[in-house]
Amino acid sequence: MSTILEVQNLKKYFKTPRGTLHAVDDVSFKIEKGTTLGVVGESGCGKSTLGRTILQLLDSTDGKIIFEGEDVTHADRKTLSRLRRHMQIIFQDPFSSLNPRMTVSETIMEPLIIQKIMCKKDMLKETERLMDTVGLARRLTNSYPHELDGGRRQRIGIARALALNPKFIVCDEPVSALDVSIQAQVLNLMQDLKNDRKLTYIFITHDLSVVKYISDEICVMYLGQVVEKCKADELFEKPLHPYTKALLSAIPIPDIHAKKERIILQGEITSPINPKPGCRFAARCIYANEECSQPQKLEDVSNEHYVSCHRVYEINENILNSKEESV
Amino acid sequence: MQSNEKEVLLSVKDLKVIYTTDGCMVHAVNNVSFDLNKGETLGLVGETGAGKTTIAKTILRILPDPPAKVLNGQVYFEGENILQIPEAKMRKIRGNKISMIFQDPMTALNPIFVVGDQIAEVILLHENISRKEAEIKTMQILEMVGIPGERYGEYPHQFSGGMKQRVIIAMALACNPSLLLADEPTTALDVTIQAQVLELMAELKEKLNMAMIMITHDLGVVADICDKVAVVYAGEIVEVGTKEDIFDRTKHPYTVGLFGSLPSLNMTEKRLKPINGMMPDPMDLPQGCNFSPRCPYAIDACREKDIEFTEVSPGHFVRCIRAEEVK
Repeated sequence: MSTILEVQNLKKYFKTPRGTLHAVDDVSFKIEKGTTLGVVGESGCGKSTLGRTILQLLDSTDGKIIFEGEDVTHADRKTLSRLRRHMQIIFQDPFSSLNPRMTVSETIMEPLIIQKIMCKKDMLKETERLMDTVGLARRLTNSYPHELDGGRRQRIGIARALALNPKFIVCDEPVSALDVSIQAQVLNLMQDLKNDRKLTYIFITHDLSVVKYISDEICVMYLGQVVEKCKADELFEKPLHPYTKALLSAIPIPDIHAKKERIILQGEITSPINPKPGCRFAARCIYANEECSQPQKLEDVSNEHYVSCHRVYEINENILNSKEESV
Repeated sequence: MQSNEKEVLLSVKDLKVIYTTDGCMVHAVNNVSFDLNKGETLGLVGETGAGKTTIAKTILRILPDPPAKVLNGQVYFEGENILQIPEAKMRKIRGNKISMIFQDPMTALNPIFVVGDQIAEVILLHENISRKEAEIKTMQILEMVGIPGERYGEYPHQFSGGMKQRVIIAMALACNPSLLLADEPTTALDVTIQAQVLELMAELKEKLNMAMIMITHDLGVVADICDKVAVVYAGEIVEVGTKEDIFDRTKHPYTVGLFGSLPSLNMTEKRLKPINGMMPDPMDLPQGCNFSPRCPYAIDACREKDIEFTEVSPGHFVRCIRAEEVK
């Protein structure tokens, strides 16, 4: 396997009247070809900004984005146009991300027209093929978005993202606006496409059960920073960061016999404007002490399980120690 | 639960509600019947457009007429059919004995009044006390939902989403209602905040011995907080029973489909089992069982006539002729 995308110390700050908003603050990761990286976090943690900054829909403040070995951090228009063939995005809201004046086929065909890679006849054929791929009936070719329900609209968004046969897709909450029965259809479709076309996804979501289903690796974000990163199964089996623990315990489980030991977090997410150095979760963390006001880094605590917490060894004494013995 | 608590508080019988638009009839609610005992929580589960909110609004008599019209049915609250009583009398019940929490805390509050006055208004309307006393009572209620009383004079925009939802809950509970209708009270909130709000609601319900109808699409929330569950599909209740009936002895194919669509956290298989197709157009419902076009168990008899509600075990009703074969 080879690395398709590498992000190094990526930062995206926004200037606001009240100070600098640290939307994405020093995020680094690598994604292997053909895998899915899940990015989870609550609203306002910077996960969408991260996705958009990687695709250069937003200009990064600092850091590097390396796509297939090429530094594309501040690519010019020409390079970007070439990159767009390989990097695409599926947006969250299928109701506002489609142009209401364009028919289904016009929407799906638009990337092909812009990139001028085939003649008109081939484009029409390609559009039909794409509609088949994502499960849109051909009779909808000339329908407008307002005639369709959310599930079908999201399929248009997926077809458009696939039109140029990209290698890498940022999926920004692609199923959040859909009902569960439709959500399951779309998730299965995305999984099939990934296997058939060897796609690489960054899957951004706030829904932890969805992220577990679709991801190979997961990053948990809190206020612009990655607090924990590891293999998907491992995250759910042994979360190590206090925030991840609380987040996992807060999910209502549709099983009435499940044992629930809920960690209820006090307070709410603090402001990302001019954050203090040190752990940003400390204000809500039951384990926080004075040490936590010192800056901290994501470190590998066991077998590529990265955690950013001063007290990670103390808190998880039994898990981490027993692991070392067995190794 | 003690036997003296098993007193029926609310009884909905054969409720039928339509919306008329441009001469078309939309069957929003069809023959819905259920009972709710004092102090009990009923979960009303279903997807977008199933008619859940319409049921709640009918109980509170706040449906806009036109376009909505209650064609048939009775709603007995404390033994009285509240669909028949004069509006002046209904106004005394609304907000007093029955109150409602709306889905979106961002739009349910008036942005130009301070939150305290918005809560005090409810108290002044229903109780014969002075303004000063109402203010004191409001502060107590704010404290009860975990907001410091001194925030009485703040405007809605000064509160975060979770805090606004607490204000809404405070407003709904201001007059100690015996029935609370909660319409997706946590859908707009992040999971950690959702956990806080759900815990608060469960605690207050216990304390005030209040009955609750919890409208939600999240089976996890249902497992958490409800005693009884009614599954709504295309305006009909397709299955109703205790939480154990629905989660452990699922009988209706739609309920089975809902569970299959959810990516679970302790899932072993790598593929979801979605329900095929889409929800039928409520303007053009299929013959016989509404779910038959999507149902893997459907046979010709399902499409012939309307399906009766049958009791498969005491208190567990299913609207399916093949319920015994469903696995």
